[in-house]
Amino acid sequence: MVRYFIKRLGMMIVALFLIMLLTFTIMHAVPGGPFTNDRKVSPEVEAALNAKYNLDKPLPEQFLGYLKGILHGDLGPSFKYIGKEVSDFIKDGFPVSAKLGVVTLIFVLLAAMPMGILAAVKNGRWQDMMMMGVATIGVTIPSFVIASILIYIFSFQLNILPTYGLDSWKGYILPVIALGGYSVSYIARLMRSSLLEVMGQDYIRTARAKGLTETKVIVKHGLRNALIPIITVLGPTVAGLLTGSFVTEKIFAIPGLGSYFVTSVTHRDYMTIMGVTIFYATFLMVMTLAVDMFYCLIDPRIKYE
Amino acid sequence: MDKKWDMLPSSNEDREKIWAKNRTFAGDVWFRFRHKPTAIGGLVMIVILLLFAFLGPLFTNYSYSTQKLAAVNIPPIMKVYERPDGEGYLHITQGLKLLEVNEDGTLGAQLEKVREESADSMTIYECGGEEVALYYGGSPYVVADPESGVIYPSKTLWNKSYILGTDSLGRDILTRLMYGTRISLMVAFVAAAVNMVIGILFGGIAGYAGGTVDAVMMRIVDIISTIPLTLYVILIMVFLGSGLQSIIIALGTVYWVDMARVVRGQVLSLKAQEFVLAAKTIGSSTKTILFQHLIPNAMGAILVTVTMLIPSAIFMEAFLGYLGIGLQPPLASLGTMCNDASETLRSCPHQLLFPALVICLIMFSFNFVGDGLRDALDPKLKK
Repeated sequence: MVRYFIKRLGMMIVALFLIMLLTFTIMHAVPGGPFTNDRKVSPEVEAALNAKYNLDKPLPEQFLGYLKGILHGDLGPSFKYIGKEVSDFIKDGFPVSAKLGVVTLIFVLLAAMPMGILAAVKNGRWQDMMMMGVATIGVTIPSFVIASILIYIFSFQLNILPTYGLDSWKGYILPVIALGGYSVSYIARLMRSSLLEVMGQDYIRTARAKGLTETKVIVKHGLRNALIPIITVLGPTVAGLLTGSFVTEKIFAIPGLGSYFVTSVTHRDYMTIMGVTIFYATFLMVMTLAVDMFYCLIDPRIKYE
Repeated sequence: MDKKWDMLPSSNEDREKIWAKNRTFAGDVWFRFRHKPTAIGGLVMIVILLLFAFLGPLFTNYSYSTQKLAAVNIPPIMKVYERPDGEGYLHITQGLKLLEVNEDGTLGAQLEKVREESADSMTIYECGGEEVALYYGGSPYVVADPESGVIYPSKTLWNKSYILGTDSLGRDILTRLMYGTRISLMVAFVAAAVNMVIGILFGGIAGYAGGTVDAVMMRIVDIISTIPLTLYVILIMVFLGSGLQSIIIALGTVYWVDMARVVRGQVLSLKAQEFVLAAKTIGSSTKTILFQHLIPNAMGAILVTVTMLIPSAIFMEAFLGYLGIGLQPPLASLGTMCNDASETLRSCPHQLLFPALVICLIMFSFNFVGDGLRDALDPKLKK
């Protein structure tokens, strides 16, 4: 277990280094420097700017400087917004995104698990058909379409929910549904198939033969084992919620990290793109690793070599 | 005497003969696939969508980039007012102009504005020698007689010029939808094909070579799969700039990791079987064994992975288009159409509805076909 952890950690560090190298190379291969603007800048000013941001040094040295900065939590200055640091964007945006993400994750779990359990318990009956129908729709419709339809119905036609912002609890409803729709469907399907598989096991028959009530059989014997696959997909789900938030935050005008990232992509603010990509990648990898380790703790049957 | 009780002449050949019709593996798969309604429905839907995307543009009078600023944001079902001279109808556009509509539902010219009467919240237009007023003081806006203030009778009419309406630049949505579907499908197919080739080569070599080569190659795959792919695609798009090639390159180089894993797993299990040993004993080269014996046997799993890959490529393309880093206008893809439409969602929901519907149809069809194919190729996997 410790060996596995160290191996995973090593792989993560290699992957992170590759991402940084890749991002750095891509950003420096893009035609036009960060100061190529509509406004013409005199050569002296440009040289001074380049010197200020270390752009006059050879590339490997720049990369080393950048790496050193990252280790100190400094992701460099934004090239488009004068006086703003990339880390400022993260400080401003991440708490908002994280709050939305956590609320969505809770919603996903609270909605998906009962759906999946109901579908598995009523296997083959209309409840099952209905739940799985809803889940199929949720997997196939892109989140921006769901979001637009929800806005049209609840904000424009019925006028009961706001179209943007997270000022009140009402503001959360639509973004959470749009963001979590895919994950709810995915986890509900997984929950159903995993519970169905567990309910066919011998120890479930034993539990029933002992005379336990059906509720007790499902909750105490079935669910505990059926939950394991759900925990494995939690890592990718968190990743999906984070990257999905690019679109959701754009639609609902939420000032989170996702919308900063999208604006920096459209404005070609290279330093911010680089910084935020690295931040996202690190966060996602740490989350996945944490979930995998947790997974290994709760199920003693799983042994990593 | 009849010879009822005599033995029939028999030979050993009869005993060995298989009397049932011989079915090939492909025939078997097709039989199982055909008997699944969702799978066959999905296949039919894909064919219809392909026809719509590739043959459809031959039958429209517009190109995807023809703009007609007089006919902006026209819905497919219009509310029209009768003309005072009785020859056709008038439609109030969202730019508060009056548009002639013929009896059969085709659109005519825009009316000439005569004067503005702000005090009465009316704009006066000239219509066949008479004056009509567009009254915008109340909601909804109406067309009325300027003197008496009598509102002309109204009705709803199908738009025959633009069957699905026009977008905010006056382009025909139906035509753009055809081109958009074509581009989305093309991106998905090409990306899937590129992924398939890279995945087969990478996974096949790793699985067949085994040992250190396999370990190193799979370690590379592990590292790549920890990188969040969405971010990587966005980075490549930023680097290459928006455009069709960039999307294809970005998507084509990213999603092969799953394919490589699937192929490697198949090759690993297949290469231990006797027919590979037989091929080796008769002296086949590695290339022959890999491409003639192993890959064809792994084709089932590969096909299923590819059909599942296509919807995710379409999803990703729509996602990029929606974020505004997909195609350059005036090219249309389903994602960019949704993005354009979201700005006018309140007044023209039809602009979002149609591309969204097509995206959903594509997703449904490919998912159903993928499921059907998986069950047909390997009935053991059936849920």
